[in-house]
Amino acid sequence: MSLPLYYFLAITAVNILMSWALYVPYRMAHLHFLIVANMAISGYTAAYMVLSLHLPFGLALLAGFVLGAVIGFAVALFIGDAPTFAVVIVGFTFIYITRTVIENTEAVGGTMGLFGLPNIGGSPSVHRWTILAILYGLVALVGFLIHRFDHSQLGRAASAAFIDKDLTTSLGIDIKKMGILLQTFSCTLAGGCGVLYGFIYKSFHLDYFTFHVVGILMTVIFVGGYTTLWGTLLAAPVLYGVPLLFPPEVASWRIVIYGALLIIVLVLKPEGFITTRFVYGIESFLSRKRGKRTPLTKPQEDV
Amino acid sequence: MEVFIAQVINGISLGSIYVLLVTGFNLLLLVAMIIHFAYPQVVVFSMYIIWLVLEVTGNNLILGALAGVTSSILLNLISAPLFQKVMEKRGEVDINSTMVMSMGIGMIITDVLSHGFNKGHPIAFPDTLAGGEAILRVGLISILPGQVSAFVVGVIAVSGFFLLLYKTRPGRAFRAIAEDPNGARLVGIPLLKTGLQSYALSGLLGGLIALLLAALIGSASSGLGEQVALKVIAVSIIAGLGNLVGGLVVGLSLGILEAIVQGYISGTWSNAIAFVIMLLVILAKPTGLFGLKL
Repeated sequence: MSLPLYYFLAITAVNILMSWALYVPYRMAHLHFLIVANMAISGYTAAYMVLSLHLPFGLALLAGFVLGAVIGFAVALFIGDAPTFAVVIVGFTFIYITRTVIENTEAVGGTMGLFGLPNIGGSPSVHRWTILAILYGLVALVGFLIHRFDHSQLGRAASAAFIDKDLTTSLGIDIKKMGILLQTFSCTLAGGCGVLYGFIYKSFHLDYFTFHVVGILMTVIFVGGYTTLWGTLLAAPVLYGVPLLFPPEVASWRIVIYGALLIIVLVLKPEGFITTRFVYGIESFLSRKRGKRTPLTKPQEDV
Repeated sequence: MEVFIAQVINGISLGSIYVLLVTGFNLLLLVAMIIHFAYPQVVVFSMYIIWLVLEVTGNNLILGALAGVTSSILLNLISAPLFQKVMEKRGEVDINSTMVMSMGIGMIITDVLSHGFNKGHPIAFPDTLAGGEAILRVGLISILPGQVSAFVVGVIAVSGFFLLLYKTRPGRAFRAIAEDPNGARLVGIPLLKTGLQSYALSGLLGGLIALLLAALIGSASSGLGEQVALKVIAVSIIAGLGNLVGGLVVGLSLGILEAIVQGYISGTWSNAIAFVIMLLVILAKPTGLFGLKL
């Protein structure tokens, strides 16, 4: 496999997973940018474990997931039911604090970054295939879990909380517990992504963990569509891949292009390109083709 | 002790700018019902315009100031229809979607500044803008013209703003919309016109802040807006979103606290400590110390 293709596939998978990490808490209107800080914290910790403590990659990856979960849970205890703007500012503040701490910590390379992460499995080829297998295995697993979540009572409760938190509470749904659950899930995912991201490039540098990455993830979920997981799945490769085809002088303006796209979509199509209705339409079409009952009617019968 | 006093003086001038920023931010929040996350980026954009005009005109301060204020007002007015459109599409006032919209605007401004001006390098303002030599110097304590102007203009602008808000007809209209937009509409207050006035007024404040920041810190970079944005929203949340008096107290306090910490601990750590304190307050009391006014 060529190196550009490997990077494209690997970074696309990371973008999909990270966008899903943002998508899950946004189901109840929490824009949880703590995931970017978590990515950096878990990634750097795992890299330190592998480089300085000589622990195996598998253990470092597991530690990344666990660290992400612990941080996510601890913070969610405070902001599980906070308003969106408070969640946003907490996320941004964590990004800033994390960057400052890493910048000033020589043990993790400071401003120079961490380099020389080893290949998993010895050779570069095995390393690439292992990384891709883990990433796309995670995409399949997380995609399945989110799909189940979207079609569950919890998913419907999250949708209700997105529209009106007070009304949802009055229906007996514990907003805070739901917030803690979704935020912890998203941070766990982000922790693992941080470790994998570092092992894709075999190095870590703070330049990645900036507000730009927040902009990219936000564009992916808002342009793709924040009401269904499929929007992210389609938008992530397109938004990451298309600028690679541009000439360098245009590609360097990709953040401006993302910003403009985000604004245009918010103005013209606020729910993004792939909406719930669109997905139900396709599901209905496929069901009719198979001669089955349309999924549109199923939730109504359940109620 | 000298360090402490010197840093308090620095902190008061920095705090004055925070107060102005939070006031402009809160005005848009209360009247136009938007969380304008990119408001500080608009201010930094105006700083760049001031720098550009100073470069072109051979440091003509009046033209630079005029260009800065005009660009800030225009940028705010241009973004107004976008915010209104988003709210119309949602069919209701949706603060969250306008926040995402303003993040998009912020992304564009930051990237344009990092590519389109001075080949992406930070910009430096001429010493004439800061006013030159210190007015008073006693040991480590010095008072610079830029600090005095930041404080004086800050006091005048905030006082003027509060006078406008509480003693004039447009001010009553602003407050009426902030209290109850539907009620305000019922008694004949034009929501659109008043909303646009709030955009223009916060743009005017933004232009002033750009000038003061340029005089006070003497340089700017494309990332400055993001850092300031974070602090402004944090100040606003600590005070209580939309709480003008709270913003005044917290903005000034943060400026002083930050300067004191900077006096005793090296640069990058001091910023982190300020953020940790803010984070603790946000986590413990998300509605703010002075209460929400939304």
